[in-house]
Amino acid sequence: MTRPLADLKVLDLSWVVAGPLIGRALADFGAQVVRVESSRRVETARLMQPFHRGEAGVENSALYGNCNAGKLGMTVDLKTEEGRGIVRDLARWADVVVESFSPGQMAKWGLDYAELARDNPSLIMLSTSIAGQSGPWAALAGYGNVGASLSGFQNLVGWEDRQPMGPFGPYTDYVGPRLALVTLLAAVEHRRRTGQGRHIDVAQVEAGIFFLSPQVAHHGFDGTVARRRGNRDEVFAPHGVYPCLAEDGRDRFVALAARDDAEWVRLAEAMGRADLAERADLRTAEQRRARADLLDEQIARWTSGRRAEDVERCLQAVGVPAHRSASSADFVADEQLAHRGHVVRLPHPLHGETVVEGPRYLLSDTPGEVTRAAPTLGQDNEYVLRDILGYPAERIAQLVKDGVLV
Amino acid sequence: MLEHLRVLDLTDERGLLCGRLLADLGADVVQLEPLTGSGARSAPPTAHGGTGPSMFWETFAANKRGVALDLDSDEGLAAARELAGRADIVVTSLPAAWLRERGLDPDTLRAAHPHLVYTVISAFGWSGPKADYADCDLVVWAAGGPLDPHRDEERPPLRISVPQAFLHASADAAAGALIAVLGRAATGRGQVVDVSAQASLGTATLARVLAHAVGDAQPEWHRQPVAGKDQSGSGAATPNRLKKWRCADGMVELHLSMGPASGEFTNRLFAWLRSEGAVSDRIAAWDWKTLPQRIAAGEITDADLDEARAAVGGFLATLTKEQVLQAAMEHRLLCMAIYDMGDIAASPHLAERDYWAQVDIDGVAVRIPSAIARVGGGAQPGVRRRAPRLGEHTAEVLADWLTTTEVNG
Repeated sequence: MTRPLADLKVLDLSWVVAGPLIGRALADFGAQVVRVESSRRVETARLMQPFHRGEAGVENSALYGNCNAGKLGMTVDLKTEEGRGIVRDLARWADVVVESFSPGQMAKWGLDYAELARDNPSLIMLSTSIAGQSGPWAALAGYGNVGASLSGFQNLVGWEDRQPMGPFGPYTDYVGPRLALVTLLAAVEHRRRTGQGRHIDVAQVEAGIFFLSPQVAHHGFDGTVARRRGNRDEVFAPHGVYPCLAEDGRDRFVALAARDDAEWVRLAEAMGRADLAERADLRTAEQRRARADLLDEQIARWTSGRRAEDVERCLQAVGVPAHRSASSADFVADEQLAHRGHVVRLPHPLHGETVVEGPRYLLSDTPGEVTRAAPTLGQDNEYVLRDILGYPAERIAQLVKDGVLV
Repeated sequence: MLEHLRVLDLTDERGLLCGRLLADLGADVVQLEPLTGSGARSAPPTAHGGTGPSMFWETFAANKRGVALDLDSDEGLAAARELAGRADIVVTSLPAAWLRERGLDPDTLRAAHPHLVYTVISAFGWSGPKADYADCDLVVWAAGGPLDPHRDEERPPLRISVPQAFLHASADAAAGALIAVLGRAATGRGQVVDVSAQASLGTATLARVLAHAVGDAQPEWHRQPVAGKDQSGSGAATPNRLKKWRCADGMVELHLSMGPASGEFTNRLFAWLRSEGAVSDRIAAWDWKTLPQRIAAGEITDADLDEARAAVGGFLATLTKEQVLQAAMEHRLLCMAIYDMGDIAASPHLAERDYWAQVDIDGVAVRIPSAIARVGGGAQPGVRRRAPRLGEHTAEVLADWLTTTEVNG
């Protein structure tokens, strides 16, 4: 069956994570995505772990691989007029352009939406940045850790008795592209019906705050300022992450919780602690929250003599939420993710094989598919210029000679 | 943009956000609840220590209309199934067994209405060995990857203090549903969109979940900086405690990035410190782009780096969060004030960008995040109505939807 986005042509000028993940999702469902980058200013994700065999190298990053699988790749020096000409030609070919340059940069190159839409009025362009294309913070530079600071996440992760620790990695890089993708798909649907193009401006800070909407509203309602609370929950108790037996020299942990009073009783019984299950001062969640230190101590004593996997199975068998804290080794071995085909092995021109995540949602009739590994630098220069843009061989040779395709 | 689409929303707190996104983009989203109300109506945070309104509901059910039906009666279920036949998209996060008992599951509804895009959001997936696992946000966070690498020294891995896992899944569900809607334009047929929160979270780990698979033998890189390894300058591989600094009225996030890609940011930081007389000329003269090699060569010692950090720390302590933010823009620094909810509410930037919508929550006018994106040339995504009271639009929606013919793709 035809893939749902088979007719969609995408020019991807974005880099690092927040932008490239958008085109990755479109490619999974059939869009033809041309990723443009430059070896003159190597895209940050290519410099980031994890690396094949642990060796740093611009063709070794699994992060880059995961964000760009399924795309065609070409290298263009945008500092040259000829290079910008190629981008203009691709923008005429494309239905969608995704870019994540600093706000204003595309205009300096004469590649802003107004300019590109002149030749292609139904073009949809999506610009993603830290704080958006307008407003007093538009000039903000940075990665997703800056976004995580201004959106409130840095302050909302950490132990109560320690400094805030912030979320793992550039958190708004994980949120921004999801909201961007939904908005972009809505624009594609709108264009299908009306032929109208749109310029979409997504700000990582705003996307991040959106995921904290309840906390923002709470502040607006009665002045409550959300605080970090370690692993504790506002309602459930117990609720935490507990040490288990080390495996292969690595620390192991299990996450577990009791969502109601009955689950607490089953948890305590599974621990062989009928005494705790029967205690009158632990019957309600409110009582248990008040004695959370005691509970954490008793649970940790039980888990620390067991394997994380065994605790997970023992508690799930009695309907108590629990899961080992999954390492990257667990992730590729996870039977549920395997059932979903989520870990995808692909041939790779340099590594023989590479591994990426599969599409994040399974469509029953037109499933997503990762058709190829992310491109090596300049892998598809010839194909894009000859087959997509129809440049004659002499022109391509001249571009190579002039150092434009780097 | 989605004004032509109808969404029947059968979610609890795990999937509530999905319909909100579709509604913000223009769709007519109807939250269908049992007469006892959706579980999301009591999802934390709740005001007045648990007795007041749920801020989760008030924000993520905004823009929807509300229908309440007796979903344990034949009449109520008949009406629910009829509404599903008039919808383009059904979205649910309710348990499979509950849906099957009532004939509201994907197989039953799609057999009757082949045009339907049926989106299911669950912790692990609609089928598979863990499909029946008991779940909560923390457990999914553990299973999906972002928990394990996130440790503060010797303590156990740490989650974000407020639930996030199902928000990622719900946003993915909205995208998956729209891809199926786009596919339907060619085929006339809907399909099932099966969203697993566990699988959604892989992309919230900076691909760290793939470390083992590609043979990266140092998956702990996020805890122990590996000299010369991460030259991206993003700071993603640097321990968090090295990136937090005190300022006069709070804290600052700042990574002293080095290496070719981002060392220039730190050069600008030290140029600024020098102009303010806050650092010695010796340290201000370093080029952070080449610092990794100089450290490796032993030209720059740990004591030197401590001195540099002390200069930065001493200077930042004299500044307010607002001054740091202004300086970050003026000098183009990777340096940022750490905001709390009060700071966010007061942001002039967000106000100028029309980010907020004002809604009534229990008689109080409250601003909530609204503009998920700004879209040129037409109606903006955003909030047009507050979250529905229980059954507020039952009569209105039954009249609206059931008097029209079934959707034909």
